[in-house]
Amino acid sequence: MVINVKLTNLLAYSSLAVRRVSHLGKHHGDLPYQLLLSKPNPLFHHKKQIQTVVPSTSTKNVTVPVENIPTADSLVRLDLEGLYEDIREGLSETQPELKLIAQYYFNGEGKAIRPVITMCMARAINFHLDQNTPSVLQKQKKIAQIAEMIHTASLVHDDVIDVADSRRSRPSVNIVWGQRKSIIAGDFILAMASKMLARLQNKQVIILLSQVLADLVQGEFMQLGARENKDERFAHYSEKTFKKTASLIAYSCQAVSVLSGADSTLQAVAFQYGRQIGMAFQLVDDLLDFIATSAQLGKPVAADLRLGLATAPVLFAAQKFTELNPLILRRFQEPGDAETAFRLVLRSDGLQRTKDLARQYCNDAVTQIAQLTPSPYQQALVTLAHQLLHRMK
Amino acid sequence: MVSRNGLICWKTLQSGCIRSTNPVNVTISRRLCVSSQICQNNWVQAVSNAEKIVGLPTSFLSLRSEAIDEISNIAVYLKKLIGTGHPLLDTAKNLMYSQDKTNQTRGLLVLLVSKAAKIDQTQDILPKQRTLAEITDLVHAAHLIHTGVINLNTPNESLEMGNKMAVLCGDFLLARSCVLLANLQNLKVVELIAQAISDFSTAEFIDIVANETDSALDRWRYQSKLRYGTLLAHACQSSLILGDNVDLVEFGKYFGLEIALAWQANNEIQSYKNAKEKADHVLFKLFPPGTPFKEVISNFQAVRDTHVDAALQMLGELPKNDASLALCNIARALKY
Repeated sequence: MVINVKLTNLLAYSSLAVRRVSHLGKHHGDLPYQLLLSKPNPLFHHKKQIQTVVPSTSTKNVTVPVENIPTADSLVRLDLEGLYEDIREGLSETQPELKLIAQYYFNGEGKAIRPVITMCMARAINFHLDQNTPSVLQKQKKIAQIAEMIHTASLVHDDVIDVADSRRSRPSVNIVWGQRKSIIAGDFILAMASKMLARLQNKQVIILLSQVLADLVQGEFMQLGARENKDERFAHYSEKTFKKTASLIAYSCQAVSVLSGADSTLQAVAFQYGRQIGMAFQLVDDLLDFIATSAQLGKPVAADLRLGLATAPVLFAAQKFTELNPLILRRFQEPGDAETAFRLVLRSDGLQRTKDLARQYCNDAVTQIAQLTPSPYQQALVTLAHQLLHRMK
Repeated sequence: MVSRNGLICWKTLQSGCIRSTNPVNVTISRRLCVSSQICQNNWVQAVSNAEKIVGLPTSFLSLRSEAIDEISNIAVYLKKLIGTGHPLLDTAKNLMYSQDKTNQTRGLLVLLVSKAAKIDQTQDILPKQRTLAEITDLVHAAHLIHTGVINLNTPNESLEMGNKMAVLCGDFLLARSCVLLANLQNLKVVELIAQAISDFSTAEFIDIVANETDSALDRWRYQSKLRYGTLLAHACQSSLILGDNVDLVEFGKYFGLEIALAWQANNEIQSYKNAKEKADHVLFKLFPPGTPFKEVISNFQAVRDTHVDAALQMLGELPKNDASLALCNIARALKY
């Protein structure tokens, strides 16, 4: 009897393990697959499995040795394989010149951070809900594509608005084809993304992602106006940051959770993770604009100041150096303004406070995602938050 | 049935015969056409009468009434553009205050089709259908604004600001359309309108030059279909889907296309008449070089009229009511 039970348990365990890894795809022999089979991963816990001892994941600052845990990037690499090819394919059935312009920024040079987060969240939620339907995963991959298309369409329009001359070390799209055709190509990308969205056959998802479009425009408008009242400025900056950066990530995360069958509580977890990570992401970007060298960034330093934008480091610095306030109001237009602001920011505690705020957002994101059933994907989302903070050093 | 001034004469002359163009009235209107101003009044009259049947389209009013922050931002920046010569000013002016009643007529056509299709005429146009009419006007406005972005090779602060505003205004209208569209909760309609946006973007890359298979006129038709036809066709289709008039969906598609082509053809004729440099106008390129001005006009009027007649023929499929009559009036008014 005892032997039978043990055998049954063993069989149950191994069949579960096989089932668990089969969803990683047909590419056996890849790193994630081997990782799951070779080592008894203590975080690999599922309700149906035999209870193993699992370390608590409820702390705010989860410290896990980064080297052992696969990154989000590597875990979803297979899922996202061909992402850019697929996007380009979707934009190819049109006039030759339009095809060229539309495909220009989809050459795979981007960081693809949005698809990575989206797909990793999709996997984490699927694991949490024990969602294994292949069609769900297919649709979630489409969300990753759509998110990247919306993001890129907004980059195309941004380059015209900001009169940019380069992006990712290449001439920007408006330089190559002129402003008019670039804007229209951006509309085309958006239209194709909307068509893809409609084909997912989920009304709630369409509502979520169309809200992103409204937020992106509103964020751009918010960026145009400077708040007179300095006490309102930070709130204005936060809201603008949500609309311009975090909104897309937050709603994409929520969208994949909806496709997985999440209830509103779980959707909120996904949304909040996306939101906090998005906010942190922008804060780190704003920080790096001051401290990184132009070689690291791929664009000139203090670009934000040159564009007249007062980001978090400047806003924090202005609390100490009130002489920054008139500069902020006139958007650093006078000669010497940008240089003065740059100097004052470096002298102030603006950078440190920005780091602290970014850390706070990351910790919040981790707290959110800790509510999911532990899995390599859930862990990778935690690691992502840590990697983000790591970039600030 | 409510009678209106403009419609009484149609009804008394020939009740229930929408199919054929009434020859008597056409001659009357031709005699009255001593100047295009009076003929344009036919259009304005037809549109005004139609508005009384389905209610004034509220496409841009709702934007103003919601006191959105962006609108006040836009107004401030538009004022700064005065004197710069950026096309956005003219476009915005035409959209807000249209003398010839064209800025919301696309939406109006959608409303008319929605109303005309209703078997029970006491039934009102559905809120969803009104929203769709608004979406049609917003998308069209976004298209006009975005195509007004100018190519700048040298830095020019005020024109750059104009471009910036053009991009943002257009994006604002498109985003709003998408949000409204999503809330209609109909996947087919989302796809149809997305296709319209995709089509008018593609239209910018079509050149009106004859090639091995197509004449220049064919290319014009193709470009106009993409630029204006798809939007009206798909909007009419969508409205009929939302109104549950499944059997009339095909009608909506073809009627929308024909009326859009007729309308655009008429616009080309009017602008050609007013053009200072005839040789720069698109109509000049559609006919062999050296064709006299009057011949270009009459040839293209024939093109326009084929589309008007096609639209009128499609309208024959509709039940006879105030709204379908109003559609006939509007179509006929294009023949000026």
